[in-house]
Amino acid sequence: MDARSALLKEIQAEDFALYETALYLNGHPTCRSALSYYCQHKNTVKALRERYEELYGPLTLYGNSSESCWHWVDAPWPWEKEGN
Amino acid sequence: MWSYEKKLQYPVKIKNPNAAYAKIIISQLGGPDGELAAAMRYLNQRYTATYNEIIGILNDVGTEELAHLEMIGAILYQLTKGLSPDEIRHAGMDAYFVDHTAGIYPASAAGVPCDMKYIGIKGDLIADLNEDLAAEQKARVTYDNILRLVDDPDVRDPIKYLREREIVHYQRFGDALRIATDRLDEKNFYAFNPSFDKGCGCGH
Repeated sequence: MDARSALLKEIQAEDFALYETALYLNGHPTCRSALSYYCQHKNTVKALRERYEELYGPLTLYGNSSESCWHWVDAPWPWEKEGN
Repeated sequence: MWSYEKKLQYPVKIKNPNAAYAKIIISQLGGPDGELAAAMRYLNQRYTATYNEIIGILNDVGTEELAHLEMIGAILYQLTKGLSPDEIRHAGMDAYFVDHTAGIYPASAAGVPCDMKYIGIKGDLIADLNEDLAAEQKARVTYDNILRLVDDPDVRDPIKYLREREIVHYQRFGDALRIATDRLDEKNFYAFNPSFDKGCGCGH
């Protein structure tokens, strides 16, 4: 697995943990252990995403960091084998 | 509104194209218990879902279903990429091919285009949440059936992930139904929709 795929997989795993906790919190908004897990992982996800966008281009339409090139339209797209 | 994230929720990396698998798995794109129907069911139910916690669950599960629609699209795209007309014919995908080539069109495994008749939106919290619980179980069974028919580990891996999500969503809708019923008056035996039936004696 190349370095980009490895970092992307790490982001997918951290995003999943955060999303899964958020979904649980919707039905249990006062659960303190879930809230503390959410707060912890929120920062990890943020840092990983910033690192990825700096190295490999934007993950969202608002993450283009270059002033000379619009990298949003660069391949691979997520549904391509090479994009995973 | 929504904003797109340029990544799948879970990786899809299929080495060997296989049109026969695509022909089955397409049901989770546009079939009766597929991801498109699921997203439309929850995202349109949420407006009249009465309680904020339940609106949140419908909003976010509905959004996740769109991510699953994309994962199924990625599976179908990779399974049908670079196939020859002969391979398409031998896999029995020729009837699909003549209308859609290798385009990704939301239909069931039997070729029926996606239809909003697959979903129920009653505007009644209890009725809608029971629809959702059943929908998650039906989707789980469809993924079980796909796993009975597909051997390739590259394809099974994301399908297993999607199957597990149906089980988690069932749990979250279980939470939602508990929240809804906890807030009904004990005399409200038939569990009327509290946002509509103001005079029903259910405490609202």
